[in-house]
Amino acid sequence: MTMPLSIPTLDQLDPSEAWAPWQPTAGAPWNRKWAAHLYRRAAFGPSRADLIEAERLGPQGTLDLLLGGRPNAEDMTATLVDVGDVAAAADDNGEQIRGWWLYAMLHSGHPLREKLTLFWHDHFATSLDKVQSPPLMFRQNSLLRSHALGRFEPLLQAISRDAAMMIWLDASRNLKGKPNENYARELMELFSLGVGHYNEQDVREAARAFTGWRPDEAGGFAFDPRLHDEGTKSILGQTGRWDGGDVIRIVLEQPAAARFLVRKLYRFLVNEQAVPPDALLEPLCASFRTTSYDIAALVRTILASRHFYSAHAFRQRIKGPVEYVLGAVRLVYGSYGEEEADYRPLPQRALVARLNAMGQCLFAPPNVKGWPGGPSWLNTSTMLERSNFAGALAMGLLGADSPGGSNVAPEGRDRSDLRQSGFPVDTSEDPVPPLAFDPARLLEDEGLSRPEEIVSTLLDLYVPGGVRPALQARLTAFVADGAPTGQALSRRVREAVHAILTTAEYQLA
Amino acid sequence: MWNRRQFLTRTLKGASLVALNAIVPQFVSRTAQAAAADKDTILVVLEMAGGNDGLNTVVPYADDLYHKARPTLRQVEKRVIRLDDHVGLHPGLRGLQSMWDQGQLAVVQGVGYPNPQRSHFESMDIWQSADPRRTLKTGWLGRATTEFDHNSGGVPILHLGTASLPLALAGAAGGGAVTVNQANPFRLELGGGKVEQHKARRELLEALATAPSEASEGDLVSFVQRRQLQTLTAVEQLRELLDGPNAVPRQGSGLSQRLQLIAGLIAKGFGTRIFYVSLGGFDTHAAQGPAHETLLDDLSNAVGAFFRTLKANGHDHRVRLLTFSEFGRRVKENDSRGTDHGAGSCLFVAGPSVKGGVVGKHPSLADLDEGDLKFHTDFRSVYATLLDDWLGCDSKAVLGATWNPLKELERRS
Repeated sequence: MTMPLSIPTLDQLDPSEAWAPWQPTAGAPWNRKWAAHLYRRAAFGPSRADLIEAERLGPQGTLDLLLGGRPNAEDMTATLVDVGDVAAAADDNGEQIRGWWLYAMLHSGHPLREKLTLFWHDHFATSLDKVQSPPLMFRQNSLLRSHALGRFEPLLQAISRDAAMMIWLDASRNLKGKPNENYARELMELFSLGVGHYNEQDVREAARAFTGWRPDEAGGFAFDPRLHDEGTKSILGQTGRWDGGDVIRIVLEQPAAARFLVRKLYRFLVNEQAVPPDALLEPLCASFRTTSYDIAALVRTILASRHFYSAHAFRQRIKGPVEYVLGAVRLVYGSYGEEEADYRPLPQRALVARLNAMGQCLFAPPNVKGWPGGPSWLNTSTMLERSNFAGALAMGLLGADSPGGSNVAPEGRDRSDLRQSGFPVDTSEDPVPPLAFDPARLLEDEGLSRPEEIVSTLLDLYVPGGVRPALQARLTAFVADGAPTGQALSRRVREAVHAILTTAEYQLA
Repeated sequence: MWNRRQFLTRTLKGASLVALNAIVPQFVSRTAQAAAADKDTILVVLEMAGGNDGLNTVVPYADDLYHKARPTLRQVEKRVIRLDDHVGLHPGLRGLQSMWDQGQLAVVQGVGYPNPQRSHFESMDIWQSADPRRTLKTGWLGRATTEFDHNSGGVPILHLGTASLPLALAGAAGGGAVTVNQANPFRLELGGGKVEQHKARRELLEALATAPSEASEGDLVSFVQRRQLQTLTAVEQLRELLDGPNAVPRQGSGLSQRLQLIAGLIAKGFGTRIFYVSLGGFDTHAAQGPAHETLLDDLSNAVGAFFRTLKANGHDHRVRLLTFSEFGRRVKENDSRGTDHGAGSCLFVAGPSVKGGVVGKHPSLADLDEGDLKFHTDFRSVYATLLDDWLGCDSKAVLGATWNPLKELERRS
């Protein structure tokens, strides 16, 4: 990663300075750029209302709100989980729980908890493809949510006893005298230590310690002492008659565990491109250990830090599909909330289908390592899906061709014809979207009419922190072309929003 | 004068919209015209993700140790497709039998690399980057495309799938490998409106994707921008083939359908020389028997049908298909009627250009490395042979060292 000359490299940073809380100054003030940055990392991006609120609250107030959730978040989440249980029970292919989770991400009032639940889903990547039970996948999701901001050891103990995980990594096949190494290996390689911090013998011995762990018929945890290997095991230098719980304790006594987890969270919250030196992460690792792996405290330190509010973090990640889609939805749909008079429900199914096509099928990560993320999100197929989604969203067509998910009246238009015919398609004008789904409502909300103003307002909302100057000029020329007014101008604005959502700047988190 | 590759590379890196507009129609016609050449050799790589059980793919049915190690999973002589007095193919591979009978299937045994990794991800990366030290961030196929001349327009490698771009394809010439997800239209959708409105929007998207960046090449903004431009360009390049009235028919997105699409593209004269597909599910820790058989059945039927289609169109002689997996599995089956991660394994090279037969000895079951088969043939020797002899590019430049070719895999002369 090349940085402008004025910015020190990661090796040059003083670690204790880097993780000290950031204080805005007159020269480097708290503004939309940083508020949006915080919302992209700690949530699924800001709505317009979030930005206005964050500017008023300041960095600490905004972070408090994100870490604690909105006042109704606990009630809301409990209610949502009850609804989710019912939805999961009636789900046969995962579509219900996928739609449910997207709804929770948007409406739970605690987006940071949902964001970290997504992080843990990726970390403990379990797939419905093998588990074959939406209710068990939903139960795992609830487990991840309840521990998302807790301590790591209880989380690791709980996920190791989670039915979906045990099915996923063959716990019930791991028997005394007949060990199956699947869980023991992934526990060390992917969940806690990383390659190089254990050996094959540790894996074999740990597998013996986990024998006898299995899901019960109700989808809970069962321990069958008859299937458990009571013998002595030697794991990471400790010898005893260990069971699975001991393995987790031993694993988390390794200094490598904090380094592995902090590094992964650094990629998620700060920068996925750079490989930070151990020295830079060491203060985080040290306090992560001394707080018994307190996830919320670690997340707070990172998100409040000077390093987080620096060029080392700003736009140094590529948005994953969920971030891309929900971020765009929250921006395009104004202040998206059920209390709004012109609120319309989202076409959840359409969103699920779009996310799948972009390569992030929730509850079905590609393998136990999770989504590889970063630049691998973007290939010609997924990039095209992003653009096509952004176009449908900005033009108010999202879900127009998905049964049950329509948000515009599709009268007189058969979208399937459109799909069959070749490109380009010449049809009648797209219908005017309902106000709640119309990005052009900004014209009225902000009283805008001049192309320069329109474009700078759009950029200030969609990509705060600026874009390449040539982009702004080109967008302004596009909006100004032919001096449109009225509906034609509104349409032009929607088209410009589509284009903004495809820019490199917008694709970065 | 720039050669074409340099020209395309520079254009796709995208300094000016004018250049893009000028180049797009040429791309399309070049892609189509490549049919005239009709001589380039083509390599299709089929990834078997999850760690294919090599020992139950090429089965040493005559070895008692095999039957002892595999009490429930073993394939007996009566069931296997006999290759010689010692080994036979798993019965699920029946779809490849006619290629074997016609001498079009090379079965390479004992393939691996030193100090094998038993992590899926580490080992898969090693096979894909061809770098056991794990320092290279590009793939062997990606690097290969910078070493040979091709008529592929801007599509040096076509990847058919839903997953992210495999490491093997990273670093490809021009804008990089192109991915098409067969389940979705490969089309820029702009909703309703007039032709000129669509044109203006398309030009806007292109302009935003080509707007100069002050940042360096390695910068994320530049990366995303290049990918965006590559996507817009690829949509144009592939439009006639995938989306027009004379498009190659697309049905479903299973392995066979993906291979059939490749066969259709080759028949249309699509100039790309490297295609990549993946089949997952080989991580058979438990109840392996039926699952593995189904996978091999899918694979062999898809590959058999692929070459039949190629043959019907007269292109089979210039296509080879290589299979690989990140590792084989432990010799001794586990007590879940499955197998755990192992090492050395086997692979196939298929096509009429291949001298069919068994290549190399089956690794000994009496002399194991921590319960795993020992390899005798480094996978980079297989790659080197395909690079030098089949694709006609310098394997040393791609692999960073000279590897002894496998004479058995060289073309029939």
